[in-house]
Amino acid sequence: MKKKLPVLVLLLAAVIAVFLPAVSLHVHSQLGAETAALFPANISLWQIMTQGIRCLPADQVPAMKLMYTAQVPLTVGMLLLLAGCVMALLNRAGTGTRLSLLFSCGALIFLGTGIFQWMNLSRSLLFTVLLTVQAAMYIPVIAAVVLILLDVLALRHQAPLLTDDRKWRLLSVVLAVMALLVMLLPVYVINAPETLTANPADAAAANRSVSMYQMLLGSEPNLYTIGQDKQVFTDTLSGDLKALEPYSGDGNNIRGIFMIRGNSSVLNTLLLAGAVLLLLTAVLGLIPKADRWFPLVMSAMAALLLATGVLSIMQVGEADMYASASRQLLKLGIGHVTPVAPLAVLLALCSACAGALGVHYANEPYFVNPLPASLRIRTVAAALAVLALVCMLMPNATVSFTKANKNKVQATAELRGIDALTLTAADRLADPKDSKGKDVYTADEAEYPIGAVNAATASTARLYTGLTWASLCLTLLALVLLILKKPQKWVIALLIAALVLRVATWLALSRSLPRAVVTAGGTIWLYASLPLLIFAAFFAHFAHLEEMPNKYRLFLLMLPFLVAVFLFSYLPLYGWSYAFYNYKFGLPMDQQEFVGLKWFTEMFTNMANRENIVRVLKNTLGMSGLNLATSWLPMIFAVFLNEITRTRFKKFVQIFTTLPNFISWALVFSFAMCLFAADTGIYSKLMMSLGMNDPNNPTVWLNSGQHIWLKMWGWSTWKGLGWGAIMYLAAISGIDQELYEAARVDGANRWALMRHITLPSLLPTFFVLLMLSISNILNNGMEQYLVFQNPMNRQTIEVLDLYVYNITIASRGTTLYSYATAIGILKTVVSVTLLFSANFLSKKLRGESIM
Amino acid sequence: MTAIDKKSRAFAGKHHDNKQKMSKGDIVFNIVNYTVFILITLACIFPFYYLFINTISDNELVRLGRIQLYPQGIHFENYVQVLKIPGILDALFVSIARTVLGTLWTVGGCAFLGYLCTKQEMWLRKVWYRLIIITMYFSAGLIPWYMNLRMLGFLDNFWVYVIPGLVSPYNVILVKTFIEALPPSLEESATLDGAGYTRVFLSVIMPLITPILATLCIFSAVGQWNSFTDTMMLMPAGKYYTLQFLLYKYQNEASSLAALVRNTQDSSSLANIATKQTALSVRMTVAMVVTLPILFVYPFFQRYFVKGIMIGAVKG
Repeated sequence: MKKKLPVLVLLLAAVIAVFLPAVSLHVHSQLGAETAALFPANISLWQIMTQGIRCLPADQVPAMKLMYTAQVPLTVGMLLLLAGCVMALLNRAGTGTRLSLLFSCGALIFLGTGIFQWMNLSRSLLFTVLLTVQAAMYIPVIAAVVLILLDVLALRHQAPLLTDDRKWRLLSVVLAVMALLVMLLPVYVINAPETLTANPADAAAANRSVSMYQMLLGSEPNLYTIGQDKQVFTDTLSGDLKALEPYSGDGNNIRGIFMIRGNSSVLNTLLLAGAVLLLLTAVLGLIPKADRWFPLVMSAMAALLLATGVLSIMQVGEADMYASASRQLLKLGIGHVTPVAPLAVLLALCSACAGALGVHYANEPYFVNPLPASLRIRTVAAALAVLALVCMLMPNATVSFTKANKNKVQATAELRGIDALTLTAADRLADPKDSKGKDVYTADEAEYPIGAVNAATASTARLYTGLTWASLCLTLLALVLLILKKPQKWVIALLIAALVLRVATWLALSRSLPRAVVTAGGTIWLYASLPLLIFAAFFAHFAHLEEMPNKYRLFLLMLPFLVAVFLFSYLPLYGWSYAFYNYKFGLPMDQQEFVGLKWFTEMFTNMANRENIVRVLKNTLGMSGLNLATSWLPMIFAVFLNEITRTRFKKFVQIFTTLPNFISWALVFSFAMCLFAADTGIYSKLMMSLGMNDPNNPTVWLNSGQHIWLKMWGWSTWKGLGWGAIMYLAAISGIDQELYEAARVDGANRWALMRHITLPSLLPTFFVLLMLSISNILNNGMEQYLVFQNPMNRQTIEVLDLYVYNITIASRGTTLYSYATAIGILKTVVSVTLLFSANFLSKKLRGESIM
Repeated sequence: MTAIDKKSRAFAGKHHDNKQKMSKGDIVFNIVNYTVFILITLACIFPFYYLFINTISDNELVRLGRIQLYPQGIHFENYVQVLKIPGILDALFVSIARTVLGTLWTVGGCAFLGYLCTKQEMWLRKVWYRLIIITMYFSAGLIPWYMNLRMLGFLDNFWVYVIPGLVSPYNVILVKTFIEALPPSLEESATLDGAGYTRVFLSVIMPLITPILATLCIFSAVGQWNSFTDTMMLMPAGKYYTLQFLLYKYQNEASSLAALVRNTQDSSSLANIATKQTALSVRMTVAMVVTLPILFVYPFFQRYFVKGIMIGAVKG
């Protein structure tokens, strides 16, 4: 009986939630008081389920009939949830629970998709009504999730239904295929009302239903081209939807929406990759000899990719300039999103789960590779070489054309590998035209006439063609030799030669053009082909072996992490080059103006800059210095806390003094704001009652720029004192108790014990921490100062990091990027120097390194 | 007599001694010591309490600054209304998603990498290890970091909260030190059974290093939950706001926010001045909403913090 109680509670909660307000409405004043009165303040799930769109005054506002309320999925989901609860109540841990699990999973899918639709509707102004989804809406979904958990817990000790891994694999395949099929259904449907434009026939062009396949193929009908080709949507708007004009984004009217370019390539790629992986899941799951892990990994990755893609669909035109026109229309409520997209993700997820269970019940516990052992490494090498070949055929270089007197790229052209093969590379670069179709260069240009530019690009194209041909042939030859099992040293030599040619292509491209007007840079495909060739050679080296030697296998496992470190820690160092240029946003690096050490000298020679730097450095060193000067506080805190004999009190103090360390600076600032508010805060009230603050003209304590260093020191001490003491307390617990005993026998009192035993044994820890904080003297972070800064105290609160942020990203300007980078470089150099000197000092004084 | 008995006797004896020797100076010392620590603890707790009583008290009294030590006119309308602010549920979702995914990703990555770093037989192990550790000591600076993420397509992208955190050198050191202290025989027997490196890590090493993983999880989760500067810099189009960032944002624009909350309220509560939202009340309630998860989780995991920093202290 006890076990049924949670289910009963869930059932009750779900039933009650149905009648609570699920969506609240806020009617814009534009609609007028009479129309506004027609709208209910709240809608409950019950109303949505029973009345559908009729719960809103659809008769009065006809355009509202187009709105999709997800009535059917919500109703079906609720019914399934009820059925699940009833089944769970009737029969715990038997077939009833299995049915209940099935029902609640179904309920989760249906409810989830219905609520997803409402989430989409919320926060977008539909028909000048603001919809806000309330918490009660989510309760049934939560109930479904909890029910699933309860069922799984109840079934945990039961014999599973499908123990055979083949059955699970088959289920995984079926689910993957279902996910693929679901992608054929429309994700969103747009029903443009005839009143959208003056000419009803024009509005019909906007009607469409778009499936996920159309999205992944990028064949979603593009309103932009329709609008331009047929000259539709050029008439002014009329009819009901005119009221939507103010909400159509960036101040343009509805017509402007049709001029938005469609198709996001990122979205297409994500969905395409997801679909391909699902297909692979289906195929691999059916191959009897294939390893069980493959379908699992494939479907899991597919689910991840699809989820990311679907997330971007869900962001229907949210402040996104590149969102397609159809999605902008959706945001305006002309049409609806169907639950298909999340359904596909859910199916892919379920497929992955089934795959995982298949792995769980498989007889072979370890990885089984379907390829014969002698071919494995060779196959990997060949696959990498093929990938490198593919990369070579892709767009390998971007050529951008500018004019000497303009700080903007005028036109760009891509050089593809195929262009080199068909010898049409020169044509692609000849006579560049800008985005409006106008010639960038003309014959009567003073500096660079079109003839000169064309001659230069033609010679570059010839070079590119030759090099690409050569590297393609070399790689192909290597591939053939690899497959024919010829000696691997030839293969490696060929691959390395191809690699050298690729690097040569990259270098030659950027060197052989007139820099003032044309620059070329490699694309991601060019860069990707380099490591592919290297690793093809690497694997070719081991092609004759059955197994990779352990030391290299470990290296390959390590490789993804090395790539991550390279991308996120070492690659940013490339940005240091900005400091030596007069960096202008949007121009390729080749065309930036090289200024040498100008920014470094500017820091000290330019009066205004020097003043700022000196001021900021003063703040940084001042506040770091205050913290350094009081860095012994945590140690004293620990020493005195250790003197308290009641363990419970000690624990209590420790718990509550470390708590502030775990809240963010934004929160600390909220605390400060409440406690020290000028008129209402407890601090000013206290001062008022002491007669130190004039009630009519209260002191602005928080915002004023006075004593800001002390205040900042106070807050960082409040936040860090208890936390800093933990390390010392740990050190104290490591002190040998016999030392104390011996001292006590010698007649030492409490003070003597503290001074001569506890403190000296803490000093090494203190010293290490002190050294580390000295080397970090310039890096005092910016979060604290960022939240506390305001126009009144900016002069004295701005530290180095905050200054850099304020002059660049915060001010939304890009002109000072070079200067800010120069400051960053100097800061890093000083910090690293300080660290090494502190380390050196530590080695000298204590014979121990701190790093 | 066992060693434990000895210890307990010695302990009892020491206690006894203390009581006997309690001199006047000791009593004064104890009184002062206890008082100081009580004051410090109060100073740490009071802001939390102060904020809380202000969010549940009569808003009019709060506006006048009359709520200082105890709540008056208790109501929970503030919380109900704040949760209705458009976007706050989305922000909550993003915050939770980044905390869960980011923590799993970072801890999983650092654990496996720490394990790999203990393998002496790896090709050029020392070089790779140093390359990873050295990143702890330098940073490219704000602008290069920003431009790099921009170039990699991480701007206005949810995954920027998760993916760049894969390798954190300090965590790698902690895991590596911990694994090196384990007896190597455990791993050897699994290797003899034919398990590969990944298999050994998952089924042998992982269960043994759960204490350190729990500690890393908590640190990473708190860091993820608390961070707001990344949202501020990397989300120019306003997508994927987190709760912390909304808190930071509301501190500057709470007055317009209160108007928004008031507008979405129904007319009946509009008349009631005691529960009417003010800029101050909205700001404080949002702050409280952000604090609550930490307050709930904190007591359960407090002991792990201590353990974690002790393991960290070993390395210095």
